Amino acid sequence: MINLTVDNKEVTVEPNSTILEAASKVNVNIPTLCFSDDLTVYGGCRLCVVEVEGSDRLRPACNTRAREGMEVKTHSPRVREVRKTLFELIIASHDISCELNCLICNRQNSCQLKDVAEDIGISRMCLTPGADEERESDHSSHSVVREPNKCINCARCIRKCEEIQGVGVFAQASRGPETKVTTFKDRGMGNVECTNCGQCVVSCPTGALHEVYHMDQVWESLYDEQKHVIVQTAPSVRVALAESFGEEPGTIATGQMVAALRRLGFDRVFDTNFTADLTIMEEATEVVNRVTNNDNLPVLTSCSPGWIKYIEHFYPDYLQHLSSAKSPQQMFGAVAKTYYAENAGIDPEDLVVVSIMPCTAKKFEASRPEMNDDVDYVLTTREAARMLKSVGVDVCNLEPEKYDEMLGVSSGAGDIFGASGGVMEAAVRTAYNMITGVNLQEIEVTPVRGLEGLKSAEIPVTDDLTLKVGVAHGLNNAGIMMEKIKAGEEFHFVEMMACPGGCISGGGQPINTERSWREVREKRIAGLYDIDENKELRLSHENPKIQKLYEEFLQEPGSSKAHKLLHTEYVTRGVPGT
Amino acid sequence: MQKEDTDILLEMAHDIQDTYGYIPEKEIAELAEKLSESRATIYGALEFYSMFYTEPTGKYIIRICDSISCYMNNSNEVLEAVQDYLKLEAGETSDDKLFTLEVVECLGHCGEGPVMMVDDRLHTQISPGRAVEILSKLH
Repeated sequence: MINLTVDNKEVTVEPNSTILEAASKVNVNIPTLCFSDDLTVYGGCRLCVVEVEGSDRLRPACNTRAREGMEVKTHSPRVREVRKTLFELIIASHDISCELNCLICNRQNSCQLKDVAEDIGISRMCLTPGADEERESDHSSHSVVREPNKCINCARCIRKCEEIQGVGVFAQASRGPETKVTTFKDRGMGNVECTNCGQCVVSCPTGALHEVYHMDQVWESLYDEQKHVIVQTAPSVRVALAESFGEEPGTIATGQMVAALRRLGFDRVFDTNFTADLTIMEEATEVVNRVTNNDNLPVLTSCSPGWIKYIEHFYPDYLQHLSSAKSPQQMFGAVAKTYYAENAGIDPEDLVVVSIMPCTAKKFEASRPEMNDDVDYVLTTREAARMLKSVGVDVCNLEPEKYDEMLGVSSGAGDIFGASGGVMEAAVRTAYNMITGVNLQEIEVTPVRGLEGLKSAEIPVTDDLTLKVGVAHGLNNAGIMMEKIKAGEEFHFVEMMACPGGCISGGGQPINTERSWREVREKRIAGLYDIDENKELRLSHENPKIQKLYEEFLQEPGSSKAHKLLHTEYVTRGVPGT
Repeated sequence: MQKEDTDILLEMAHDIQDTYGYIPEKEIAELAEKLSESRATIYGALEFYSMFYTEPTGKYIIRICDSISCYMNNSNEVLEAVQDYLKLEAGETSDDKLFTLEVVECLGHCGEGPVMMVDDRLHTQISPGRAVEILSKLH
């Protein structure tokens, strides 16, 4: 162990700890900007510099190791002066002072530049912003917009995309003041192998990356008397929306959210969980058939649109392994525009289907030609929060209300879709029943839960069949899992989620600048399992509204009508030049 | 990227550029594959060095230095003369794909400015007239 002092406080840390880690142990907050607890250390912004007794040069706390007897001063006059100058230089590359654009920035409440300015005690701004030329925004993607004028070159998006997602669509190009973050040959995010996962958005400290907004189109529909506007809410939204209203991560606000969306003016408030149950019925049927017939195993899940685009680019040879089942969002759209429209006596032309998703890739998914405009607009959790705030709805203080029944009843299996391993667990609960005719005694499949990057489990089903399942989350892990499969490791069924931890930390979720990624993910996941545990209905195949939907409309899981409406195809995209 | 990979990348990139005159997209993808990097990373690395080209250039690349020593020795007059002669702005390639004209940072001959480089050949203490004369012999 190593003993040192930070601001005269004694602290003992493990060998190889950094000064930053030592300081946090004694609750000394050193400002950081390019540092992120889930990424490799970059040491680029230099804001974390500290004074070390006996050393002339200031040291960056993020990549300087603590040594025995070190005396560190984190907020000495010299350090504070240097930090202010560094911050000014950073701000000079960030289009902040003109036209009061902080007021309209998407990060008005989660701007890390503002946090750091406060931490440093900034009291002057002498430099004029250095961007001599207006740099054009990148609107080429269906999911994500880049505004390079707000980019401060911290490279967090680059590292996130490479290290956590294993994709690498961004790089720094040119030198010196001309250095910029860009895509391959400046093509734009919509024209390269971007998966639309939006992890770059949630790792950006400024407003340089944000989702493609659908808010205006949704307002327009809500104000249009002719339109019947219905909304679906994804599992992970209910355990994250309250964060935008000041609550802890993982706060369950299902009923309050439903009440809030009614106030916003939606004609019906439905649940994506309902079609998560439907997805399980279709997907489990497919898994049972394919396992029985040894047909293209393992079956790979298909509900994460970031993962889908990833496999289309990087492993197109394995597309026939994907389940053909559409994602819950798209199943909802398909059922709404047929079954619901028929029952409610509404012309599908006048029906507007809006989803609220923790995801930016869902915007791209809804625009895929295979999906026939079943879902009209996709709002991220963040956009939904902004819309609610702008009409003065304080979500957390509303009386909870229930979803509208027809497409609003769901099992706990639907809720846990938002956590890594949840789709697998939900599917196993139902597949087991489909094969054996009885329910699992212990329905909680705990080995597939949690934040371990790669998980697997063996579930004994019959004397002849032990189901071997795998789970990966974060696209880098998905890539590792694909390499295992390529190398011959055998699974029956593998769940892949684009985002680390699953949809609960999707690219469309509230950005928490106060807490570590791990804590935010764990709390949101705990929220979902809490909902499942406290629900009476925990098995998709026991959902009475799903049973009714099959009886009245779809016949049975895997029927030709179900296939036409609820299943889809994939596209070989590859990476040009390889 | 690891340091060894960067070294290898630069060597391979030079070879490719010697073959094609620039680094075509397909070759960038191959470099990425060989070094287990993304296309964007390789592109970013190549863009760092101004003498790597990711788009086709003219048959001859004319570089005129405008760093401080050359500038004080009237490199701007050389540039103007060359621009007038080639009917090109800096950064452009002629329609017949014969010339690419560039204004560059220091070429390492500050005591002998202004300097102009034609492909690998350096011309020092050059006058506007001499610059045009050299180019006229290239057609």
